[in-house]
Amino acid sequence: MIPSDHFTRLYNEVFKFLETQGEEHVQSYFLEISKNQEKHIIDLIREKGFAGMYEYWAMIREEENCKLDLSYDEKKFELTMHLCPSLTKAKDNDAETWARYCDHCAGWIGPILDKTGYHLVYDVIDRNKPQCVLRIFKEEADAREAEKDVQLLMGWPGSHHA
Amino acid sequence: MSAPNDKPLRYKEEGNVHLDFHGAVNTTIDFIVKGYGIEAMHQIFKKVGRDVYQDIRQHLMEGDADELVKHWRYFFDREGADFDITVGEDEIVLTVRHCTAWHHVKKIAPGVSPFFCDQTSVTNTAMAEGTPFAVDTTVLGNGACTQVIRRRT
Repeated sequence: MIPSDHFTRLYNEVFKFLETQGEEHVQSYFLEISKNQEKHIIDLIREKGFAGMYEYWAMIREEENCKLDLSYDEKKFELTMHLCPSLTKAKDNDAETWARYCDHCAGWIGPILDKTGYHLVYDVIDRNKPQCVLRIFKEEADAREAEKDVQLLMGWPGSHHA
Repeated sequence: MSAPNDKPLRYKEEGNVHLDFHGAVNTTIDFIVKGYGIEAMHQIFKKVGRDVYQDIRQHLMEGDADELVKHWRYFFDREGADFDITVGEDEIVLTVRHCTAWHHVKKIAPGVSPFFCDQTSVTNTAMAEGTPFAVDTTVLGNGACTQVIRRRT
């Protein structure tokens, strides 16, 4: 058994393998993981909207030992990651870290939000730092406006800036 | 087989456990095997054994199997598995009666990949390759297995 704590280091090896096959293989894997994640989050989003997102990421904050803040109002849901355990483990690794490790996160969340009619703005800030800001909007115009202020905008399979 | 050491594990983790990652492992195995074949999946697991678990491998290289035993004991305990470890003169046997990973995937996924336990057997073999030890895994089915460390003759 590879402990669940060590999944991110296996994930890291899978990304490195897929990159050798070509970018479309990496994107295809993101979509597969996204499909797998739907069972954990998509009903919460469809039934409860921002409150469902809050419920999901509050559970993740506990189970994955993340340091993050969550908030939402009428227009926007916001997750601010202060210390991402996933990237932290991928970097604290005797194996080499995949340089684009952070890309997987928007890679699975983005397609689910596209399916549920929300608009994601994912600011990775810096791929070497375990911090990011995820903003989800009801209105596309609000998302396009918010994109102007990001430091490193992350795309995902099918996004307009992928 | 060697003197115990009190140094912390290289990848010791604390806090809560997120068992759904085992579901992501199952999805990953299905995806890689379907698209690239079982040999590609095995190559990835070999890299996990050799590179990610480089520290355990280094201990094995130096004739120390206790680090791997500590790793087993810590993570099987942490995930609530039903297991025991018997340390004998010639071999160390880990007997897993209820693997948390296998049973969690069975609960949350449509099916457990027939290659799910390769993560254990291939990673074990790769970790021990070129060391004085062999680590052999026997999958017994339904989330049970034995993993045996023996000195190579």
